[in-house]
Amino acid sequence: MPKRVLVVDDAIFMRNMIKDIFASGGFEVVGEASNGVEAVEKHKELRPDLTTMDIVMPFKSGIDATREIIKQDEHAVVIMCSALGQESLVMEAIEAGASDFIVKPFRAEDVLAVVKKVLGEN
Amino acid sequence: MSAETSKYLGLFVSEATEHLEALTADLVQLEKEPTRQAVESTFRHAHSIKGMAASMGFAATAALAHRLEDLIQLVQRDGSQLTRELGDLLLSAADALLADVRCAEKGEPIATHHELEAKLSAQLSLLSSASGRPHTKPSTPPSRLSRVGPARRFAIRVQISPSCQQPGARAFVALKHFSKLGDILELKPAMQELRSGHIPDGVLSFELESPADEPAIRAALTSLPEVELSSVVAQKKSVWGQQQPAPLSQPAANSSDNSRTVRIKTELLDYFLETVGELSLATARIREIGKTLPPPVQPTLEEGVGRLHGLVKDLHDKVMSARMTPLSTVTDRLPRAVRDLARRRDRNVELVVSGAEVELDRTILDNLSEPILHILRNCVDHGIESPDERRAANKSEMGRVAISVRRERDRVSLEIEDDGRGMDGAKLAQSAVAKGLLSAEAAERLSEREALMLCCLPGVSTAANVSEISGRGVGMDAVKRALEELGGTLELHSQAGVGTRFTLQLPLTVSMVNLMLVAVGREIVGLPVAKVLSALELPASDILKTGEAGFLPHSKGLLPVHPLSQLLGFPSGDAPATRPYLVMEGDQGRVALAVDRLLGQEEAVLKTLTRPLDLVPGLVGVTILGTGRPVFILDVPRLLAT
Repeated sequence: MPKRVLVVDDAIFMRNMIKDIFASGGFEVVGEASNGVEAVEKHKELRPDLTTMDIVMPFKSGIDATREIIKQDEHAVVIMCSALGQESLVMEAIEAGASDFIVKPFRAEDVLAVVKKVLGEN
Repeated sequence: MSAETSKYLGLFVSEATEHLEALTADLVQLEKEPTRQAVESTFRHAHSIKGMAASMGFAATAALAHRLEDLIQLVQRDGSQLTRELGDLLLSAADALLADVRCAEKGEPIATHHELEAKLSAQLSLLSSASGRPHTKPSTPPSRLSRVGPARRFAIRVQISPSCQQPGARAFVALKHFSKLGDILELKPAMQELRSGHIPDGVLSFELESPADEPAIRAALTSLPEVELSSVVAQKKSVWGQQQPAPLSQPAANSSDNSRTVRIKTELLDYFLETVGELSLATARIREIGKTLPPPVQPTLEEGVGRLHGLVKDLHDKVMSARMTPLSTVTDRLPRAVRDLARRRDRNVELVVSGAEVELDRTILDNLSEPILHILRNCVDHGIESPDERRAANKSEMGRVAISVRRERDRVSLEIEDDGRGMDGAKLAQSAVAKGLLSAEAAERLSEREALMLCCLPGVSTAANVSEISGRGVGMDAVKRALEELGGTLELHSQAGVGTRFTLQLPLTVSMVNLMLVAVGREIVGLPVAKVLSALELPASDILKTGEAGFLPHSKGLLPVHPLSQLLGFPSGDAPATRPYLVMEGDQGRVALAVDRLLGQEEAVLKTLTRPLDLVPGLVGVTILGTGRPVFILDVPRLLAT
């Protein structure tokens, strides 16, 4: 069964790009969220194998959302979507319970390599 | 941009544009009052642009967005007011980013922004030295899990891959994995350096006190990318204390804006509307045909058609509501425009918008921003006085322009009001007389309201000197015309020294019109009911004749009579003894249109004209009656003008 992914980003553009990457890697994107609040709700509802989480989002940051998701499900795998200059935020997210991170601009093979490694698929 | 990313270009352009428009609005807000919310939202938009541009491979755009983001972050930390200079700089960066997006849209290359980046960097170092500190977060080590049992100490070296883009974060993840096994000691580089991302040669070394055995420790990094365990060496035993992990929870925040939405191309919305319009025309056609069928089958058909009509109407309502867009899509850009206008004229102007959540059909919105901008330009250029003048007049130096929007039944009223010097109706009348647009006698008879409306005639202005001739008035005719094309109206109220109010009345939607159908000879034409002030039937003897011209006595005085057949160039038969007249608003005041017969009112789908019919002056559009007969809809003011 393909691994189920929840994609969280406030930009449709980024979501589409990430979705395509996962589709090309044989994953199933089961849901999307455009802010932290929605992310927490969707995670509760969908219980995905993996969540990609943008850091800077309206209503609730990716870090706060991650913290709540982990509280909801301590085995949740959350991968932060980082960007240039966000290293300290990534560290904060890791402390909040995120499993790993990927750095924009995304390259499909890098993203899939990180994700597969984190899910123990190599 | 590679072939791989090119398919995202359309989405990039539309979404980046939205972010930049919002960013601009936020910056203007910040300049006014730096709320935490505005700073955060500004930062988010800059950040989104950066990520999107980088993903598309637009390095120059991403780099500029990054500088912008840095600078905003600094403002965020300081909580300081944005100076005008800084505001200018940030806004020009936003403009440059928008220009980049336009280039990307057209497939043109994007140049690097050396100069702008340098300016931003200069500001950045200036501000960060002023605030006197590079920002550091309070340092807390990764949370550790408490363990029981005998612990052993291991010396561990981890190599971070040189290709890793964020080695600090990567080291952090690695340490987190080890900290699940035990306590981390003797960390090199120290946590402080690590947080700043500084890891010489990518080598991380530390000691781990853990009850786990060596294979378990070696397995700690198997699920981690970009790191390799270079060595694990068991040390002698020691005892370690326990530490509670920091609480991870935070109170949940609620959001009200969680509605599910999808994006849809505007062309598709237009197509829906057009199709649903065709559907209702086709339904009316079937109903007409039904009337010619033998009576026994009529009720059955009528029932089916009735049901179809209901469904089509329902569908039409749904399509219309999908097309409704909040006015904020237009007004969100205005604070920036007013700011720039005010800066150019050395005015202090505050724009206050209320009711921007009111929704209008997007066709109307698309055609509304130009007229609104034009009126605002008038307010700032000619309404609001200079700070000196305002002080002298005992007014606050800060001029105020207020836009307030209200829904009034099936119309929207939009008021733009300034607290400037007001307009002088008498001066306008003088100007109109001087330009030969109005006789002196007519000017004297004008009410104040009518005199003010003169500014909507081409070339009429109160501007005192020649250099200001391009001033108030020029363009107001275009504004009035644009509003009327949308089925709206423009009204002006002004009081000398107090201000001017422009009231725009707009329909919610444009595509359905209520028509008054009239017969002229053997032709049928439609007139928008909204434009018809009254209809009356009078014997020919009631019309006062002065040579060729006729006048109709009306409560407001004598109205000039125009036979519609003459205006349209239709052959006119013998005028009946008693005929209907429609009183309508023309550019030069009210007129009475003489027609042959009134056929009734009908709600019709307005179809715009295409070449070459749209070139015929005086036609608004066309509709098709249930009988299949096409009927032209007339624009009476324009018809009178030709």
